[in-house]
Amino acid sequence: MVQVRLFGMLKTLVAGSNMLEVPLSDGALVKDLVDCLQIEYPELGKLLQQKKVVVSVNQEIAHWETALVESDEIALLPPFAGGT
Amino acid sequence: MAVETDADMLVRVQEGNFSIDQELERVRARSTKIGGIAMFLGTARDHSKGHDVSSMAFEHYEGMAQKKLKEIRERALQDFDIIEALVLHRYGPIEIGENIVLIIVGAQHRADAFKACQWCIDELKKITPIWKMEYTPQGDVWVEEHP
Repeated sequence: MVQVRLFGMLKTLVAGSNMLEVPLSDGALVKDLVDCLQIEYPELGKLLQQKKVVVSVNQEIAHWETALVESDEIALLPPFAGGT
Repeated sequence: MAVETDADMLVRVQEGNFSIDQELERVRARSTKIGGIAMFLGTARDHSKGHDVSSMAFEHYEGMAQKKLKEIRERALQDFDIIEALVLHRYGPIEIGENIVLIIVGAQHRADAFKACQWCIDELKKITPIWKMEYTPQGDVWVEEHP
C-alpha cells in the first residue's frame, strides 16, 4: 500500500481528500500507480496521462519508470501557480 | 532542533508577512561589495482573468517548496554575476494588496542584479510547488483549475 498526497485542485477530483491510499506492492512503478488511479478516478487519471499533473517521489519529479516502495513520499502535483 | 543559518533566512516559505526593509537589509549586510540591489515584490491584486478577486490563499508542498527555492538561489548565485539573492514566498490566506512573494538580488552592478532578479521570479513560477486559490464573487477557483 502506498500513500499519495494531493495538492491544489486535485483534491476537488477525489471528494476533497488530500491523501489517497493505493494498493501497490514494493517495486511497482509510477506508471502502475497511474493505472490504478485511472480506474478509480478517471478525471485524475486523464490529467496524469496527459502529463498535466506530475508525480513526485521523495520530493523529486518522478518518471513513469520510477520504482516505488511503501515508505516513499509520493505526491501528485497540478500545474504550479506561485508568484503573482 | 535544526539550527537556523543565514542561508535558511535567505530562502523562506512563511505564513506571515515580511518586512521589505528588514529583508533588504539582510541582503545589503551580506557584503560591502554590493553596489546594486534589484527587488521584485509580488502583491495580491483584486482582478484576475476577467473576474473580481476578493482574497486568495496559497498552498505549498512543505519541504519540496523550500527545496526548490533553495535550488533557485543556488543556481542564481552560480549562473549570474551576483553576490546574494533572497527568495521568500508566503502561504495561507492573503488579502488584496498584501505581499505574496519577494526576490531581492544584490550584485556589484545593476544589470546583473536586474537579470538575476527576473530569472528568479520566472524560475520560481516554473518549478516551485505552490498553488493559488482565488476567492471570487462567483465562487472559489484554483488557478489553473483546468490544467
